Amino acid sequence: MGTLYIHELKRLMRTILLWSIIVGVFGILCIVMYKSMESEITGIADSFSSMGAFSDAFGLSTLSMATITGYFATEVGTIHGLGIGLFAATLATTILSKEEDLHTGEFLFSFPVSRTQIVTSKIFAVVSGLLIFTIICAALYEVGFLISGDSIDMELLIKFYGMQLVLGIEIASICFIISSMSRTNKLGMGMGVGLCFYFFDLMARVIPDFKDYIGFGPYSYANASEIFANGEVEIKYISIGIVFIILSVVSTYVIYNRKDLAS
Amino acid sequence: MDNIIEIKSLTKSYGKKRGVTDVNLEVKEGEIYGFLGPNGAGKSTTIRSMLGFLKFNEGSIKILGMDSVKNRNKILKEIGYMPSEAQFYQDMRVSEVIKFASDMRGVDCKEEAKRLCERLSVDTSKKIRELSLGNRKKVSIVCAMQHKPKLFIFDEPTSGLDPLVQSEFFELIHEYVKEGSTCLLSTHVLSEVKNHCEEVTIMKEGKVLVTDTVDNLTRNNAKRIRVTTDGKIQEYLYDGDINELLLKLQASRIEDLTIEEASIEDIFMHYYSKEN
Repeated sequence: MGTLYIHELKRLMRTILLWSIIVGVFGILCIVMYKSMESEITGIADSFSSMGAFSDAFGLSTLSMATITGYFATEVGTIHGLGIGLFAATLATTILSKEEDLHTGEFLFSFPVSRTQIVTSKIFAVVSGLLIFTIICAALYEVGFLISGDSIDMELLIKFYGMQLVLGIEIASICFIISSMSRTNKLGMGMGVGLCFYFFDLMARVIPDFKDYIGFGPYSYANASEIFANGEVEIKYISIGIVFIILSVVSTYVIYNRKDLAS
Repeated sequence: MDNIIEIKSLTKSYGKKRGVTDVNLEVKEGEIYGFLGPNGAGKSTTIRSMLGFLKFNEGSIKILGMDSVKNRNKILKEIGYMPSEAQFYQDMRVSEVIKFASDMRGVDCKEEAKRLCERLSVDTSKKIRELSLGNRKKVSIVCAMQHKPKLFIFDEPTSGLDPLVQSEFFELIHEYVKEGSTCLLSTHVLSEVKNHCEEVTIMKEGKVLVTDTVDNLTRNNAKRIRVTTDGKIQEYLYDGDINELLLKLQASRIEDLTIEEASIEDIFMHYYSKEN
């Protein structure tokens, strides 16, 4: 199983590095831009914080963009959240189906490894990919802080990265189901899952009445502005997230073990 | 001799689409067994059910004395499988694919892999995406043979291979079989069955048409008749009483008559036309 895990991770590495560097460099640019905008940003922050539901949706009513913490949460937090969500969908939606899609299935399935072992190796490879993405991005953001000379409370940063990682795992776990059911590349569907969760969360924040119906997705507990404003995570939403992950992963194993494998 | 493969009443359907129905097959230890039929006859479905890629609906499959569903991993350790589509990971080098295949089996096959690559002239430094179908097939042969399995399953192995490599490939099979391996050769090339197999099963539309030794099939009563009467040439297979045939032929003026043993090609076509 170790061989397959390493093989998968190697195959994913180029994608992992590409996504990590793009999102990480965006983060650096945002952090460095803060320094150059610092003098004008107070006025912008005041007007952004008084825009009612819009301010609530982006956390601008609780955090001031005039501080590096507030600026990081609203700017880098949004980019990182969307980045890890779409990246997770990209990896997970194709991880199982690509063997049948690219006709390498018969080569892989002819080895003495069970389908359970194949799924486990591939899930571990995706989770490792998300972890590497988080580490590279975090390291690049630190480079940004070093350049700008600013800093953010490390405990809050670790909490933010941790929640974003769980967010990535939750989106990936749902995309594993798509991957286990399909024989062709369903990347668009996986990306759609990630974007749906993001927009549902946005709508639930703009229209509070929607909160109970669509505001339970991964972006509900991994929202940067909430984490950086009060350092707390909503246990209710993260519990729902963990249940989602468990159910999705179990479903993936069941579906993949039962299906007929195409060549 | 023990049966290495024992398939009983195998049925597999793809929803409304036909798969295979009531397939029975026995392959004895140490033989090269032909599995013959045109494309779509159900050969690959049978093989893919044997390897656990497909969940079959009815019947049982025993390989090396073990149940194919319960002991899939144990069985696959002892099998060298070459699929009809020799596809590998495009961005890997040939050497990496061969090493990956041996690592996945947890065995060190370096020496055997090197020997096979030399015999088949495989360039291990090339990337998979640079290879032609024939060269990919050669890599597939190395991956299937390098761990010296007890059972080979080849699904249309020679398509895309040049005649020299084909001959080397069959030479290798005979060498492994001499050392105790068994081989199931699925093909639609009749000459391969005739030249290399002892026994054969002919499939058609998901069902077994006939199972017999190649010798028996070619030595049965069926004769190839070529007769010229009144300037007309007629050619057909005849498996009835030869005296009755001669009586019938006497009714017209025979200019030329040839009666010869039917070839495997004739037998194959004979069974197909009979069914139709």
